[in-house]
Amino acid sequence: MRVGRRKPALTLLVVAALLSPVGAKAQSQTPAALGAIRDGGLPHVEKLVLDNGLRVLLLPRPGAPTVSFVMQYAIGGVHEKPGETGVAHLLEHMLFKGSESIGTTDIEAERALFEQMDRLHDAAVAAADADDRVEMERARMEIDRLEDEARSLVVSNEFDRILSRAGAQGLNATTSSESTTYFVELPANRIELFFALEADRMAHPVFREFYSERDVVMEERRMRVDASPGGTLYERHMAAAFREHPYGQPVVGLMTDLERLGRRDVERYYRNYYGPNNAVLAVVGSFDRDQVETFARRYLGPIPAGLQPPEVEAAEPPQTSERRVVIQWDAEPAMRIGWHVTDALHEDAAAIAMLSAVLTGGRTSRLYRRLVTRDQIAASVFSATGPGSRFPQLFQIDVTPVQTSSTVDIEDAIYDEIHRLQEHGPDPVEVERVRNQIEAGRVRRLQSNLGLAFQLADAESLFGDWKTTFNSTDRLRAVSATNVRDVARRYLTRANRTVAILQRSTGAR
Amino acid sequence: MNRPGIRAVAGFIFVAAASHGVIPAIAASQTTTGVRSGRAAIEALRFEPLDFEQPDVRHVEVAGIDVLHLEDRSLPLVTVRAYFRGGYGLFPRDTYAAAMGLPALLRYGGTESRSASEVDEEIAYHAYQLSFGSAGGSVTSTLNTLTEHLATGLSLWGDMLVNPAFDPTEIGAWRTRQLEGVARRLDDPARLAYSELNRLLFGDHPVGWEMDEQDLSTDRLEQDDFRTIHARIICRDNLVLGVTGDVAQDELESLLRPFLESLRSCPEPLPAAPIPEIRRASGIFLIEKELDQAVIAMAHPSDVRLRDDPEYFSAMIGNAILGGGGFSSRLLGRVRTEEGYAYSAASLWTTPRRHEGLIGATTRTRPDNVVPAIEIVLETMSGLTLEEPTADELETTVSQIVNGFVFNFDSPSSVVARSMYFLAQDMPEDWLERYWSGVQSVTPAGIQSVFAEHLRPEEMTILVVGDPDRIGRNALATLGPVTTIEVR
Repeated sequence: MRVGRRKPALTLLVVAALLSPVGAKAQSQTPAALGAIRDGGLPHVEKLVLDNGLRVLLLPRPGAPTVSFVMQYAIGGVHEKPGETGVAHLLEHMLFKGSESIGTTDIEAERALFEQMDRLHDAAVAAADADDRVEMERARMEIDRLEDEARSLVVSNEFDRILSRAGAQGLNATTSSESTTYFVELPANRIELFFALEADRMAHPVFREFYSERDVVMEERRMRVDASPGGTLYERHMAAAFREHPYGQPVVGLMTDLERLGRRDVERYYRNYYGPNNAVLAVVGSFDRDQVETFARRYLGPIPAGLQPPEVEAAEPPQTSERRVVIQWDAEPAMRIGWHVTDALHEDAAAIAMLSAVLTGGRTSRLYRRLVTRDQIAASVFSATGPGSRFPQLFQIDVTPVQTSSTVDIEDAIYDEIHRLQEHGPDPVEVERVRNQIEAGRVRRLQSNLGLAFQLADAESLFGDWKTTFNSTDRLRAVSATNVRDVARRYLTRANRTVAILQRSTGAR
Repeated sequence: MNRPGIRAVAGFIFVAAASHGVIPAIAASQTTTGVRSGRAAIEALRFEPLDFEQPDVRHVEVAGIDVLHLEDRSLPLVTVRAYFRGGYGLFPRDTYAAAMGLPALLRYGGTESRSASEVDEEIAYHAYQLSFGSAGGSVTSTLNTLTEHLATGLSLWGDMLVNPAFDPTEIGAWRTRQLEGVARRLDDPARLAYSELNRLLFGDHPVGWEMDEQDLSTDRLEQDDFRTIHARIICRDNLVLGVTGDVAQDELESLLRPFLESLRSCPEPLPAAPIPEIRRASGIFLIEKELDQAVIAMAHPSDVRLRDDPEYFSAMIGNAILGGGGFSSRLLGRVRTEEGYAYSAASLWTTPRRHEGLIGATTRTRPDNVVPAIEIVLETMSGLTLEEPTADELETTVSQIVNGFVFNFDSPSSVVARSMYFLAQDMPEDWLERYWSGVQSVTPAGIQSVFAEHLRPEEMTILVVGDPDRIGRNALATLGPVTTIEVR
């Protein structure tokens, strides 16, 4: 699950992108830009590496004079330690608050107030630890007062307003388990503005209005998780499946952690992980590549390299017995089943993607036909791998039961279909069908500049090579029926699965 | 303020003018590294004019039907889009489910010569992307296919539209899924709030309808019910068709002809859309639901209509300043940025052409912030009746539209879809250009005037979905008498 500043954004997994093509916008461009794709080749992407380590991917596509920018940092929920969940996402919010010169009328006066608020935050946390509610409330009210005072020094949302005036579209950001991504589209005559602003916030961000923004993130969590039966079920499911690996931690953060996060925690996180050496910028659209290279070097080049994020060391031990989670809610039932599988570059990953398509890819898929069309015990059934891609993932089936059915019957039907697949593998026609969809997806994924920029940034940032996103097509094409049968046998076992069920709470309708 | 000039050529060349500094001058600060950025660098920026030519959408007559065509050879893909005037909002309530279900049954219900599963197999095998949808006044469908499968794709798509079988098994399966949707309506507090607010405001008008078990009774979902509604909507007099992509005009004509020739004439003209009588009385309504976050939605009627008129443009720009314009808007600034009450807060101002629309707002917040959040929303809305918006607010909003105008043309598919919509709605073909000009004529005084005339907080219907004990029953009652709504 990704969480974002305004709304859920595109989810682009290296393999899944082909089966769930992103974007619906067509785009004109010269044959030179994408012509190779028509012949099964790669688009003409140019990769620059600045001295500070920033990687810049350029794909000019003449058409309407607009340009899409995606800046991705290889940092996300998996890099958070227990007790600090949500810090990557909160930092993402804070990067829209301006800089030392944007969003302020007096930065030094602001900083003096930040220090006072930080001390009060420490006092509030200490009071919470001591269960001293009076002192905690006093400190929080004082923070509110100081933040109101600081607001007189703030030019609110100025970063957003500058871009809005320039005609920007879709200014937003999203945080996932493994990355944090900022994106915007601009008219082609405003390219330099993007670089000037992006460099400013990369080098000199100021985390003003921090404590009210933390409240906003808490509201986001309430909306996505605490007041959402589906969101809560997902969070519990991940936590049950991943006991050691941080994939089990919610990217939006646990409420108890959010309450303890202070401005300095976020600042520290920024200093450690937001260096240009840990970032990728993808630029796709109608632009002059020489001009963009000049701007990139002029504005982003002087930013010093930062620290290298530590590798994620926690590994999920093999699951040895089935796990089950049941939550009670005043809502209709829901159900999720997950099996531990591989990371996205593993040799089995393409066969798992094919397996997913055979099981739930549209109305001709096995589980749709069985659960929704034939037995009419489910209103919908989907599957996906996640929540990230760099580490061994969970292959998840998500079912919406109908009122008259039981989750036991649904589980039995799913396991029955999986058993058939494990015995006989998919039919040749099923494999061919999926291959045809891969082929069409290979073309459709190129329609949107922004979607393409996401794919390039994702692949380069997560796997060190933008070509990975296109190479996955070849890997999918090579999958055989036997491969699908084998991964079904290898991974979709009882001991390896975690089942999460939402039941209507007792006494409720 | 620099705003683009405009000059008409074949098509239409748009020139966004060169612009100087984009932020007001406040004291520049020194940066701590050698990074060339910050206010001083940004203020120094100068932007070249942006020239581009609007794509030329051609009108082609095929089998007596006007087809909009925009060739785009960049990728081997073709999109064919059909817009049929006529939707559930034009017909009586006892046909509501059949009219709502028509698009789904066109997709799932098979054809006279293909079973439902054969249709599914064909779609999946050729990797067609097919969509069918409906709104109160229209049914739409889109085929997206690789160019190499265009002929077979059109053949299938045309068959689905013209000769649907409405397989009873598929009708039953669709009904089962709809009944599940009815049961799950209460699970999503936002969906519940919006649908109940519509019901309160519009009553027994299609906008206020919410699907229920009675709508889904089997005697309203016979094959003949679907056939009747299909004959009224999916017919040639209601159709507007558009094609984008990797296909030349002459080839397109021959490919489309069989489908269009098979499309029957409409048996009779569509009925006129019913005119709603929208509730105009203050009221606080509560749907009790034990949740960590409450949903607030409020609105009252407005008679500003979509037309080439200064009042309309003032309302649209005013709404963007109030809460329709993202982070720079007042509601988000107050409710989210300043108070930290909510993740989102937005206003709405709907402007149907033939009847009244709504002016209102919505947000979500934790229970104990519900009353102060409502007060802030009302206060922020009323603020625009008392004072003009600042010149800076107006410029930010208008500049975003003007400088971002090019995005109206960045996708051939959306260019054609927009032209189709204008045609289907009998809107001027040059509506986009009129809008572009109209918003640039809006003044701060015009915005205050349109709010002063049309915003009536005393007529606001306010609905809260949330936990009354944590919201505070007495606190909520300070806003007015509270009516609790029982939903099932």
